[in-house]
Amino acid sequence: MISRSALSRGTQLALRSSGAAKIAQRGFAAAASEKASYEPTNIAGVKVAARDDGGPTTRLAIVAKAGTRYETLPGLTVGLEEFAFKNTTKRSALRITRESELLGGQLSAYHTREALVLQANFLRADLPYFAELLAEVISQTRYTTHEFREEVEGVIRYKQSKVDAAAIALDAAHSVAFHTGLGNPLYPTASTPIGPYLDESNVATYASAAYTKPNISVVADGASQAALSKWIEPFFKDVPSDSQVKLEQSASKYYGGEARIAKIGANAVVIGFPGASLGASQPEVAVLVGLLGGESNVKWSPGFSLLSKVAASAPGAHAHAANFAYSDAGLFTIQISGSAPHVRKAAEESVKALKSIAEGGVAQEDVVKAVAKARFNLLSLSETSGAGLVHAGANLISGGQPLQVAERLKALESVTGDKLKAAAKALLEGKASVASVGDLHVLPFAEELGLKV
Amino acid sequence: MPAPSLAPFIRARPWLSKLVTPVANMYSNAAGYRQMGLRADDLISEENENVLTALKRLPAKESYDRIYRIRRATQLSLQHKLLPKAEWTKPEEDVPYLGPLLAQIEAEQKEVEQLDTLTVIKAH
Repeated sequence: MISRSALSRGTQLALRSSGAAKIAQRGFAAAASEKASYEPTNIAGVKVAARDDGGPTTRLAIVAKAGTRYETLPGLTVGLEEFAFKNTTKRSALRITRESELLGGQLSAYHTREALVLQANFLRADLPYFAELLAEVISQTRYTTHEFREEVEGVIRYKQSKVDAAAIALDAAHSVAFHTGLGNPLYPTASTPIGPYLDESNVATYASAAYTKPNISVVADGASQAALSKWIEPFFKDVPSDSQVKLEQSASKYYGGEARIAKIGANAVVIGFPGASLGASQPEVAVLVGLLGGESNVKWSPGFSLLSKVAASAPGAHAHAANFAYSDAGLFTIQISGSAPHVRKAAEESVKALKSIAEGGVAQEDVVKAVAKARFNLLSLSETSGAGLVHAGANLISGGQPLQVAERLKALESVTGDKLKAAAKALLEGKASVASVGDLHVLPFAEELGLKV
Repeated sequence: MPAPSLAPFIRARPWLSKLVTPVANMYSNAAGYRQMGLRADDLISEENENVLTALKRLPAKESYDRIYRIRRATQLSLQHKLLPKAEWTKPEEDVPYLGPLLAQIEAEQKEVEQLDTLTVIKAH
C-alpha cells in the first residue's frame, strides 16, 4: 500500500469521498464481481435474453431478423427502420415521442446487415410502459402513406446523402464477397434505385414477414426475469407466430473479387478476406484483428499495432482491421480511408504487413500484445450494452448460443505465433474481396497489391 | 374549426334520421353543385393550412379527378350552363373523400395542442 503522505492532496480528498473509499477498502486480492451474461429464456413463444445488474436503468430491445440480408426488395430494411415508432392503431407517433420524453426514455431504431433493432432505454420502473410500446410498434404500426411521403422518405434521402466513401467501400467489399444476402448494401446510396421497390405497402408486407415470434428476440439489459415474464406475456401475445410472406434467406457463400467505384472528394479502400462467423471458434482471426489493430489505444499516439505503423508511414490515411461476424459467414477486413496517394501507400503497406505475418515475421511480444487486445475486445463486447445487446439478440434469432465468454477466452490463450502465421497464409492464398472508392486514377488494383481476386 | 353540426345528433336517432334524410337529399339536389358535376367535398374552402395538408395527402387519382371536376364546374359557371342530366353527380357518387382526411388532420392538431399544454403529475 502506498503511504498516505506519498499521495497528493487531491488524491487524498478523492480517497476520502465514499466511492473511492470503497475501492480502497477492497483488498488487492479480492476479485471484482463478474458481470452477468445474457440468460436465454422463452416467454410465451418469444425468445428472451436478459441480464440484470441491478442498476437503475434498463435497455430493452427487439432484435428482429430483418437486416438488409433478409430484405425481399432493396431498401425495405431502411424503410422499416424509419417506420419504427410511427403512428400505430392505438396512438400517434407524436404521443409515443412525448410520452417517452416525459418518462425520460430514449427510443432508437437501427439496423445491421442481419438484424433490425428497436431499442428503448429507460428507468427500471417504466418497464411495463416500454414493453407495451415495443410490442405495439411491431404488431400495430399503421404504415400510412402520408407518413411515408412526409417523414420517412425525407429522412432516408438525408441519410443517403451522408453515406461516406468508407461505408460505400465496405458495402462494395461485402457485395463482391457475398453477392446477394450479406452483399446487400447496409444503407442504399443515393444512386441505388430503390424508388420502384420502397413504398409503404411493401414495407408493411415486409414487416408482417419480419415481425413474427420466431423472427424476433427480446433482449433486456437491467431487467429482472420476474418482471419480464410478467409483462412480455400479455403484451406480446398479439405478435403473429407465422406469416404468409417469407423472408429472403439463403446460405451465404464467399465469392471474392474486386470492385472499383469512382467518387469525388473522398477515398477508401477495403481489403476483405473470409473471416470468422458468429458461432465459429476461430480465435486466430480475433488475434489477427488485435495484431493488425489500427485504432490507437493511447492518447497523442497512433499506437503500436501493425496498421498504426502503416498509417504512420502514410500520414494522411487511417487504417484499421475488423472482423465482421455474421450468423453463417464472416468478413475479415482492413479498412483504409484518407487522401488518395496515402490510401494507396497504406493499402500496399497493409498487404505487406499481412504478408510479413504469413512469413512468420511477428515477434513473440507482439503476439502477446495482440492476444491481450483480443481478450479486451471480447470482454468489452460482452460487457458494453450497445454491441453486446445486438450480438445477444442476433445469436438468439439465428438459433445460436449466447457468447460463451469463458470458452472464447481460453481459445484466445491457445493462439501462438505459428497459428497466426498459418491463418494469415490461408487468407493470402484464398480469394480476396477488394473495393476501392474514390480517385481511381491513383487507387491500386488488387493485382498491384499482390492479392488474388 | 368546423361549424357546429346537428348531424351526429340526428344520426344517433334512427327515427329522426328517417325523417330528415329525404329533406337533406332535397336540399343537396337543390344546392346545385351536383348539376355541375361536383361533390360536396369539392366545396370545402382551400384557404386553410389543414385543408392544404389534406389535399397533399389525397391519392394521385383522387386529386386529379378533383381538379377535373373543379375545372369543369368553373367552365360551366363561365358559360352559364349546367351539365347534361346524365352527367350530374349521382347521390351515391357524392361521397366524402376529403372530409375524413381533414378530420384526421384536425384530430392531430388537437392532440398537439393537448400535449403542448398538459400538466405533468409526478408518479415517482
